[in-house]
Amino acid sequence: MRADAQYRAVRYALVSIATGLLAMPLIVAILVALMPIDEVYSLPARLIPSRLEWSNFTDAMRRLPFLRFMCNSLVVSACAVMGAILTSAMAGYAFARFHWKSKRFCIVLLLGCLLIPAQILLIPHFILYSSLGWVNTYKPLIVPAWLGGGAFNVFLFWQFFRTIPRDFDDAAKLDGASHWIILTRVMIPMAKPVTATVALLSFVYHWQDFQRPLIFLSDFQTYTIALGLRMYQTAGGGWINLVIAASLVAILPVLVVFVITQRHIGPCARVVDQEAPGRPS
Amino acid sequence: MSKFGSMSRNSVATKFLMPWLVGAFVLTVLPLVATILLSCMEWDGVDPSQARWVGFDHYQHLMDIKHDQDHDSATRVDVNRDPFFYRSLYNSLLFAALATPLSLFVSLLLALMLNAPLRGIAVFRSLAYLPHVLGGVATILIWSWVFNPTFGPINQTIEWAYGVLDPVVRFFGGEGTGSWLLPGWLASETWCMPAVVCMHAWTAGGAVFIFLASLQRVDPDSQAAALIDGANRWRRFRLIVLPQLTPAILFNLITGFAASMQSFNYAYLLYNRAQNDGLLFVVLYIYRCAFEPPYRLGYASAMACVLFVILLVLSSLTFITSKWWVHYES
Repeated sequence: MRADAQYRAVRYALVSIATGLLAMPLIVAILVALMPIDEVYSLPARLIPSRLEWSNFTDAMRRLPFLRFMCNSLVVSACAVMGAILTSAMAGYAFARFHWKSKRFCIVLLLGCLLIPAQILLIPHFILYSSLGWVNTYKPLIVPAWLGGGAFNVFLFWQFFRTIPRDFDDAAKLDGASHWIILTRVMIPMAKPVTATVALLSFVYHWQDFQRPLIFLSDFQTYTIALGLRMYQTAGGGWINLVIAASLVAILPVLVVFVITQRHIGPCARVVDQEAPGRPS
Repeated sequence: MSKFGSMSRNSVATKFLMPWLVGAFVLTVLPLVATILLSCMEWDGVDPSQARWVGFDHYQHLMDIKHDQDHDSATRVDVNRDPFFYRSLYNSLLFAALATPLSLFVSLLLALMLNAPLRGIAVFRSLAYLPHVLGGVATILIWSWVFNPTFGPINQTIEWAYGVLDPVVRFFGGEGTGSWLLPGWLASETWCMPAVVCMHAWTAGGAVFIFLASLQRVDPDSQAAALIDGANRWRRFRLIVLPQLTPAILFNLITGFAASMQSFNYAYLLYNRAQNDGLLFVVLYIYRCAFEPPYRLGYASAMACVLFVILLVLSSLTFITSKWWVHYES
């Protein structure tokens, strides 16, 4: 019994140290964001501000159109997340429930898409979007999410849908439900772990995406928050505390989405891990 | 009737598949072909009539193959290979070679720690995963302050440690730590890479849940049997737990390497002159060639193709070696 208590204590200590180390940069950031600027640049450096300068946060938002950037990013990410969930669930449903002539080819295509590095496609994407007149709009950021939303998401839905017994489909079919109804009313609600994981992954992807907005957006009124923070970085040489305050506010939405969805990641990873193809069963 | 049935079933499948299928062709397959074609062309992306077919010239230039001297040598100015391309390729390969194993090690360690039936462990698991989703421009800006050579907390800590060590060094007859240098981190050619590798390792938690999923499948019976056989902790880990994790390790090795070879943000955001191109990643160089004047889309595409081939070869090699070290349960 004593050994068990000891084991627990050691485990808790290890885990706390590890997560504490991971939290360190964020703790430093919060302290710097609350410091008056003369204390930030004082030697020997101080860790704890002498007074908490909460006005740093409001100052930071006034320096550049911060709220505009946040709204732009919210619009892009929200639209993209909806598209990614819907279209990747549709493709996942087709892979999990139908057999058609070229299915083998489609599976190869899906795995191929997973393996092709996104970076090498950027130049043709730029040519495509500029010839469509989409540069400086959000279409290059949102439309790809509505076209399958990434091979990995399709793969996640496919693997999860495979674990749902077909009895549910059959029951719904007896009630006269169409495939569309089965997908949206039966399958997606039953696949909550995957839906939540895909929502998190694609929200994070679009919120943090920096390179594609950099290439496709040029008018700063359309900037997403990632580009906005870059403006803070280049402009804010002398007010690093405000730059960091802005950075902290910019990660809040990710934090919110993460808190809502995080409990589903584990179950999703577990199911996909068990169902992964190539694993002889 | 049955034919009609299968036809309609086919068409339903197609309907559900359509958005993804269109995306796969228009946004992946066609661009892939376009990159390969563009890599044999010279074009600034503005006027299609200005596009010129140059064959394998870009590749010859990149690989420094000697040109035929008689063949329009007057028009060739830059026969020397591009030094920036090699520098950037070296930087990216070094970054991937350092960051991938370190990230793998960190996430494996975290997963092993977090694989315990403790109360409240779920909260710790979420905390370990959190840096992975927060990794982006915002946290890179935060990290660049943490690594600030003068005021940043890391160098402040090192300076404090030097102060503590000073009497010790003097005691053993040294000259004291007053002359010891502080690493310049992002403002230095040698230290910028370790700083960025460290930033990247911070976001390694993404793999934690995959490892946890594999750990939870580890057969408790074989663990117990090994315990009875008197295997110690390390042997139990190496012989029973680790083999079960190898499929997840392979997955994370391949995806992690590809992701770090393609990482752009660190290089773009943390660039400064003091680094002397120490953070010029290949993706940043491709970006600059393509999207900054004189907009050499063809040349940039050729570099992208070289990157693709490198990734393909390295992933395939990793995959081929996997049959010797990855264990699938039967």
